Amino acid sequence: MNTHTPPFQPVSQDDVAWLGTDPIPASPYYDPAYFELERKAVFLRSWIQVGHVCELPDPGSFIRREIEFANASILIVRGKDGAIRAFHNVCTHRGTQLVMAEAGRQSTFSCPYHMWTFATDGALVSAPDFDQFHVAKKDCALPAVAVGVCAGLIFLSFAERPEPLRDWLGDLADRLEALPVARATTFSEYVYEIDANWKLTYDNFQENYHLRFIHPRSGGAATGPDNPFGYPVHYGFHGPHRTQTIWSNRAAPPPPAPALLSYGKAAEAAAAHGIMVSQDAKDYFALFPNFFLLGSPLQHFSHVVMPISATRSRGVIRLYWIGEDDSASERFAREYLMATARDIHSEDRGVIERGQRGLSSGALQHIHLQTQEILCRHLFRSVDAAVEAYKAEMASGAEARA
Amino acid sequence: MSALLPPGFATLEPFAMRWAGETAADRAHLRAAYPDAERDAFHAACAPRLEAGLAHLDETPLAALDEAQQRLMRLLLTFAHVSLAVEVQGPDEAQHAPLRASMRITRTPADR
Ligand code: FES
Ligand SMILES: [Fe+2]
Repeated sequence: MNTHTPPFQPVSQDDVAWLGTDPIPASPYYDPAYFELERKAVFLRSWIQVGHVCELPDPGSFIRREIEFANASILIVRGKDGAIRAFHNVCTHRGTQLVMAEAGRQSTFSCPYHMWTFATDGALVSAPDFDQFHVAKKDCALPAVAVGVCAGLIFLSFAERPEPLRDWLGDLADRLEALPVARATTFSEYVYEIDANWKLTYDNFQENYHLRFIHPRSGGAATGPDNPFGYPVHYGFHGPHRTQTIWSNRAAPPPPAPALLSYGKAAEAAAAHGIMVSQDAKDYFALFPNFFLLGSPLQHFSHVVMPISATRSRGVIRLYWIGEDDSASERFAREYLMATARDIHSEDRGVIERGQRGLSSGALQHIHLQTQEILCRHLFRSVDAAVEAYKAEMASGAEARA
Repeated sequence: MSALLPPGFATLEPFAMRWAGETAADRAHLRAAYPDAERDAFHAACAPRLEAGLAHLDETPLAALDEAQQRLMRLLLTFAHVSLAVEVQGPDEAQHAPLRASMRITRTPADR
């Protein structure tokens, strides 16, 4: 029987023509004024992934997240009732930050200044000499922030009236729920800071054009003779979100022995947990504006690029696992798989900063994106549409006031 | 001198003090902490013992490993990082090391 696979066919320009071919303006990748618009039009109006339910295993479990784009410290708490809530980490008496620990478990939260004490649902439960005040306790709850959970992933929204998270995710919500992340109980994590715009950083991870140049040794089976750039086999567009189905070279030379051992162990673990290596295993999910998840159960990682300023960002990469390490082999496999992902991401980080230095000089009016960088184009168009809509809204508001 | 590792891993004894990093971040750091020749010697000694080492450790629940076994575990975990230097990066390892320095490992299940 003849079993050879048909030669690779890149996605054609015709399929993505609706996204245009114009050069992209360069200033949105360094201009602080554009960043300020994005902050308001995109980040303060979108669902932003900030954690995972496995970080909140018990009633009273909490995590604190510093969200620079909102200039906010947020406390995410599992209540006595099991529900997950988010609050500004701000005492309602006179504003003191309530919690300094990054994570922990408490049945109440007491402010060190005058000992106002809040329950896990945010209610003010006690305050010394409260009779002296001129306000009711029920009006002194911690300020809530909208929180949503899909596939175990915790999202926050600072929008005034956020649409439900599942509506925001659209058809991707059910696909995410079917992935291992929905059942993860722990993770490995590495974090980087980068002197680069969040879009420039994020774009690196949604184009494969660079693979053979930036990952000549770590790239492995990502490229091959009939697909020398390792372009994806498919792009999907889902409102502001997008997916790509990655290609791999089945004829690539086998990876080193520790890699084979680790992938083998990871596949065994996935099977033991009843995880099918489905079609989605080859899919990269890019949730607007700044979140990625690779569907593969073997190296199931998420990557968030948090904007700090026009030219500074923070990346958080997590490899999600189901169950604690149950054997030495599994522990080895997890360490190896994390280290391989980290090697590749390190190579990316270096070249992204170099790109920012060039862009920030202001020498370029435009940058150019080819057909196989269409996901970068889609991100820019989605961001710019939100920015333009915001500007129009502000202008009509100003007119109405005039 | 008493053995630092379980019986059967004598060829790894010379590396047991230096290469058994405590945390994943320590182990990632060890990958580039010593001259290439020392790293290569550790790699050459450990590569043929990886499978046997894991098979030995797999017989005992992780929480019940004795001190020598725990050290062997950490040694093999450092090997995961070192193997990437030798088997994947090869001649590019020296220029790759500074790129990794900015990727801070903040948590792994092994560290908890
Ligand atoms: S500011 Fe918190 S109790 Fe006074
Ligand atoms: Fe890359």
